[in-house]
Amino acid sequence: MTAAGQTATGVALRISDVGMRFGGLWALSEVSFDVEHGSVVGLIGPNGSGKTTLMNVVSGVYKPTTGSVTYDGRRIADVPTHAVCHLGIARTFQVVKPFASLTVRENVAVGAMYGRYGGKRSTRASFERAQELLEIVGLARVAERAASDLTIPDRKRLEVAKALALDPDVLLLDEVMAGLNATEVEEALELLRDVNRRGVTLIVVEHLMKAIVSISTTIIVLAEGRKIAQGAPADVLASPQVIEAYLGSRWVKRQEQLRIIEADREVAARVQPPEAGA
Amino acid sequence: MTTTAVLRRIGLGGITGSPIAIAVALALMVVLLAVPFGHNGYLEIVFRNILMYAAMAYGWNLIGGYTGYVSFGQVAFFGAGAYCSAVLSAHGIDNLFADVALACVVNALFAIVVGLPVLRLKGHYFAIATLGIALALSDIVANLDALGASSGLAVHHVDEAHFYVYYYAMWLVALATILGTYFIARSKLGFAFVAIRENEEAAAVLGIDATRYKITAWAISAMMAGAAGAVFAPANGFLDPSIAFSVDSNVFPIVMAILGGAGTVAGPFIGALILAGANELLQRYFIKIHTLFFGAMIVIVVLILPRGLVWLFGLKGGARTWLKSLTAYKA
Repeated sequence: MTAAGQTATGVALRISDVGMRFGGLWALSEVSFDVEHGSVVGLIGPNGSGKTTLMNVVSGVYKPTTGSVTYDGRRIADVPTHAVCHLGIARTFQVVKPFASLTVRENVAVGAMYGRYGGKRSTRASFERAQELLEIVGLARVAERAASDLTIPDRKRLEVAKALALDPDVLLLDEVMAGLNATEVEEALELLRDVNRRGVTLIVVEHLMKAIVSISTTIIVLAEGRKIAQGAPADVLASPQVIEAYLGSRWVKRQEQLRIIEADREVAARVQPPEAGA
Repeated sequence: MTTTAVLRRIGLGGITGSPIAIAVALALMVVLLAVPFGHNGYLEIVFRNILMYAAMAYGWNLIGGYTGYVSFGQVAFFGAGAYCSAVLSAHGIDNLFADVALACVVNALFAIVVGLPVLRLKGHYFAIATLGIALALSDIVANLDALGASSGLAVHHVDEAHFYVYYYAMWLVALATILGTYFIARSKLGFAFVAIRENEEAAAVLGIDATRYKITAWAISAMMAGAAGAVFAPANGFLDPSIAFSVDSNVFPIVMAILGGAGTVAGPFIGALILAGANELLQRYFIKIHTLFFGAMIVIVVLILPRGLVWLFGLKGGARTWLKSLTAYKA
């Protein structure tokens, strides 16, 4: 039994030497890492570093130019997009894609009908499953509304509910917390922890550093399509390479200078203590 | 007030459209059972044509309205179905059940073979390709001596005293398309069609094999149009390419479905009844310029009721909500 409370252990997803070229641009190159069953992998990197491209490769939307992604030993590139969710991999979209004319419940029910266990579910059972999931993600109050009517945070919740309706083992979350306020982020994190406790492996792409640090067991940093760091959250964030990728080399130098200035001041203060109680 | 807010108040009526509209459509269908009792040959043909166009409009509705692939080639299936009856008649088989069964089988196969390449296209490209299929099939038939080429074929039919047989056969075909659409829309299949219409990529990620379901939708829609054609050929007694593949038979069903409400269960029937009825009346009173009125009527209705007539049935708040929706669409 792993910490996530499920029996499956070992490597779930193996990303090996993945490269993805669009015309003359390599959006990803030589990216390799393993994702353990039950873990939460945070994927971070500056804008344009290839996070969403990697999500598209893992979910089978793009076929990688080089390398491969395997899930429990099966190459995802060999599986058509619509069959990837039947392997147990689900994803959300950064730009949400609700079925606008359907109600919120119908949106989720479609996932339950055609997802991994959809073949065994009747239309009615799919709607019941959808209702359960809407209660979990906190959308039960708007179940009858048209999906086009939802607020941004609710649309993000709907994306998560649709993905969960596929009964995944691995869930890829592409910026589901973008645009949420602090309370909403807290709620979203609680939801994701809950999903993970149910045995679902998570790969989370997010810009909010605080959120990603608090939920991830491992963080992977991409910059310009390459993996530049991997490890426990605290270690990764302390790495000078990561700081440089995010804030630029000038910032690193400036920090260095500031540290020297600060040290000088301290020395100066010790030499010439301020007059106390004149 | 934004459009979506107005739509929320009006109520989309779900995947089938307003249930009241469906009840009205079915009640009107029951009323139409009485037409042959009037012993008015002209009226019987008018209403038989309405039922025929309705069946074709349901065929278009499934692929164009529900699945979002706007086909301009449904007349190819109508014509193929009609020629199935003509061929059977030439071989001495005069049985409407056999006609409809053969038309359904032939059209389903035809739709699958043609659909595999054509349904890879989207939007205008799909529309043009389907139009091309209809035009090409018409030309092929016009050059096939076995099918009477451009001079046509006589199709065996019963004597005029028993013409009501064709009327009721067409009524059954129309009823089958209405009920078929209702049950398909409410099943898993209906949700797959709508998911593809709304966003094909998102549908695929949810496990929907878009190619498979698009072809399913097209094959069923082809069977609907083909069944109407199979009954039309013996009822008409004669078939040539200009009748089987007429522009009217191609365009009317599309306009009817959109006018009544594309992607709803009652829309195509209500659209067919109103459009064909209006066409008859205008032709009778304004013989020379009836198409002008006809065209103007379509433009006006589409402008003020872009979601179709069925939309009015679920209206909460009556005319005021509707007026607000007009300004919302302009905004």
